[in-house]
Amino acid sequence: MLVLMLEDIRKLVKKTLDGGKVDGVLALWRENGRVGPHLFVKGDDISTLEIDPKYNLAAVAILALASGAKKIALIGRGCDERALVELFKRYQIDENAIEFIGMACSAEQAKFCECDIPYPTKIQFGKKVKGVVPPELNDVNEMSLDERFAYWRDAFAKCVKCYGCKNACPVCVCEECVLEDPMWVKKGEIPPAFPMFHLIRAYHMADRCVQCYECEEACPMDIPLTLLYRQLRQDMKELFDYLPGASDAKPPLTTVLEDEKLEEGA
Amino acid sequence: MSYQSVLTTCPYCGCGCQFYLQVVNGNIVGVVPDKTHPIAEGALCIKGWNAHVFVQREDRLQKPLIKENGEFREATWDEALGLVAEKFSEIRNKHGSNALATLASAKCTNEENYLLQKLTRATIGTNNVDHCARLCHASTVAGLAYAFGSGAMTNSVPEIDDSDVILITGSNTIEQHPLIGSRIVKARERGAKIILIDPRRVPMRLFSDLYLQFIPGTDVAWLNGMMHVILKEKLHDKKYIKERTEGFQELEKVVKKYDPKTVEKICGIPANLLEEAARMFAKAERGSIFYSMGITQHITGTDNVKSVANLAMLTGNVGKRAAGVNPLRGQNNVQGACDVGALPNVYPGYQAVANEEAGQKFEKAWGTKLSREPGLTVVEITDAAREGNVKGIYIVGENPMISDPDIEHVRQGLEALDFLVVQDIFMTETAALADVVLPASSYAEKEGTFTATDRRVQRVRKAIEPVGESREDWKIIIDIAKRLGGKGFDFESPAEIMDELASLAPIYGGVSFDRLDAGEDLLWPVKEAGHAGTEFLHEGQFTRGKGVFSPIEFREADELPDKEYPYILTTGRLMFQYHTGTMTRRTPLLESESPNPFVEVNPEDAKELGIKDGDWLEVSSRRGRIKIQSRVVNIVGKGVVFIPFHYAEAAANVLTNPALDPDSKIPELKVCAVAMKPLPK
Repeated sequence: MLVLMLEDIRKLVKKTLDGGKVDGVLALWRENGRVGPHLFVKGDDISTLEIDPKYNLAAVAILALASGAKKIALIGRGCDERALVELFKRYQIDENAIEFIGMACSAEQAKFCECDIPYPTKIQFGKKVKGVVPPELNDVNEMSLDERFAYWRDAFAKCVKCYGCKNACPVCVCEECVLEDPMWVKKGEIPPAFPMFHLIRAYHMADRCVQCYECEEACPMDIPLTLLYRQLRQDMKELFDYLPGASDAKPPLTTVLEDEKLEEGA
Repeated sequence: MSYQSVLTTCPYCGCGCQFYLQVVNGNIVGVVPDKTHPIAEGALCIKGWNAHVFVQREDRLQKPLIKENGEFREATWDEALGLVAEKFSEIRNKHGSNALATLASAKCTNEENYLLQKLTRATIGTNNVDHCARLCHASTVAGLAYAFGSGAMTNSVPEIDDSDVILITGSNTIEQHPLIGSRIVKARERGAKIILIDPRRVPMRLFSDLYLQFIPGTDVAWLNGMMHVILKEKLHDKKYIKERTEGFQELEKVVKKYDPKTVEKICGIPANLLEEAARMFAKAERGSIFYSMGITQHITGTDNVKSVANLAMLTGNVGKRAAGVNPLRGQNNVQGACDVGALPNVYPGYQAVANEEAGQKFEKAWGTKLSREPGLTVVEITDAAREGNVKGIYIVGENPMISDPDIEHVRQGLEALDFLVVQDIFMTETAALADVVLPASSYAEKEGTFTATDRRVQRVRKAIEPVGESREDWKIIIDIAKRLGGKGFDFESPAEIMDELASLAPIYGGVSFDRLDAGEDLLWPVKEAGHAGTEFLHEGQFTRGKGVFSPIEFREADELPDKEYPYILTTGRLMFQYHTGTMTRRTPLLESESPNPFVEVNPEDAKELGIKDGDWLEVSSRRGRIKIQSRVVNIVGKGVVFIPFHYAEAAANVLTNPALDPDSKIPELKVCAVAMKPLPK
């Protein structure tokens, strides 16, 4: 089933490249025995194309387009599509520069990423599976405030300040990062001051986290960042009826509407 | 239009993480960690994430430089290389081959280091080739080769997942080997016990089941003390000792004297904690020991390493999965530089130059007579330069003006030379003293291999062309060799160099670029083309046959605190900087995290000195003095101070003691006596 799907994707990629409407197709390839991102161009050996493991390619698309490509296709998953939507909204990528080819994740992948929407809105490959709730979500919600504080304090005590969560995030695109500003986070400390470093990042993720799991995979210490951001997503849904990456609605935390009275804000 | 993602190996520590350099139209703009790599597993430390930043900096050396009347001027490659060949030939003809020396580089590839030692031995005609491994793990190579027959990590990094007790000593693993540190922390979350024994309360203390703080330089005493407890409580592995080892009786006699009360007096470790640590380690099913410079950089470095080996053998923990003795190597390719013979006493693959059979083998392969006399080591080379016995040095990618002990002495040595050539990517403190500076290429501009700390041979791949007129180190070395009349340097590619290395060094026998490019994980020994490599060493029997116990008595450090210099200075590194800072201090985020040198002072000592956190101090030793800001924290014990050695403006190595371990010639960078004087505000 998976093999058939992979063959079908390879065929479509070849057809897309031969069609000449895009400069390249951003996907994964196997080279030197390992799998990583690659921009396929006409003439490339399509049999090297792979779909596992998951790499979020939305951030890589920014680089591929920076090389001068006018339009590229991107073989992506639900989180790639959501990340692209956020990047379109934030003027990081021109919507017309991407042809998105959507692929649903397997049940195993959804479980691995603790993903609530493991499929894109348009599914060209694969079959939709049910979303996953992180197993710790209820446990943490049922903790007393003191217990919850201790839980996060211990989790963040492992932080080695690699900034991997930020670097791997497809929607972390600020030119100047507050996390690097000594006014907010003292320099040179391991772990960085609790809770500033992580709460600043969490706040910044609130209206943009697309639940792609890249931050948690990039964390050498396995800090459960997805769990924290999942709670924020829930709050955003309840407070603003907003789900990052799901629509082209403006991000509520960083947008002031013309007729909005600021003091009424939540 | 070009976007490329180039898989390569990180140029910082010995973990050997791989990542994809992101190259847009010839500019490296970022890295993406490799999710399919067994060490990185999709993660990196802060240095790895920023490993591309220094590569295309504007201040990269881009043209050869020749010094005239004390000033550098730009030169052509032909002119610079011609001058190097002329001067080196002149020195060789006038003073003999041993008046020349080379320093290899743990930052360069295996292929480049192989060529440099070949140039030194076969073309120049001396064994005076060494590199910074002398300053970090020379005592490991000597001590473990003696005890086991092989001086490298016995196990591979992924085996950490299955260890049940991990003893860490003299290694600030989370800061210096982050992806190994994180692996250890995660092993603990799955149930492993962690014992941390270190003079500093390093970040790993937060994840330790037991933490023992001790006085720097007393390692042999507490190691003997642990063995004392294990023997007294009959927790040793009798069957293993009988079948696999020799020399046990002699060890038993010595450790009898080191009861926990006696050890407490020497080391400052409470007797009950030492007992608890000994029991915890001895009861492990799979106990592994991780150590680094805290063990090795002492005049008793080899003794310390042998004592670690004693403890591991006493508990039957060598030669099995997820247990063993694991020296963590500091540089991306310090393991490889040793493996390929950039050491004064061994050819590639640790074949002794003094051994007649090995000598003949290499004479036949290289088609020339070779010296059977081992060459000089790092500190001996600068000493010999000061005394006028070494007249010319060719330094490739090293910065002894920051990294070596007693910098003032190093300067005198380098300034006394007739001719100094430095090949580097930036104008370092050492390059500034050179007669000729050759602009080299970084890891991102060449093909080759690095060998990670767990004997893992990995590819380095070219992402961009060498910047400016800089050239790949292997090409420069070939040119110099040929201009000196060297034969056997007709290589078209690093892959061909590896083939020659593999044909001569049995531990690399089956390594080839083809196998690495097919994605094979090759951990040496890789005996031949069909051999899969070796996950852990000494299975069934030790490389030398039986493991040998060494009876070792505690000896004090060379320089102890006294009335005049009442504190012990110990040195080390920080998470955000790397070694002499040549790369990290040019990387804005890394430099912004730790921009300033500091001396860590225990709060009680600060009180006695009447200083507060941030006050300025003069720290002095018998060799020099520096001005530096204090950091008053409860990390070092009372009477001990710590200074990171990265910073030229307050270089810790102005103060350190160049006294050498007699066996391995490693200097005692971890202990010297200093005085501290508050400076007026």
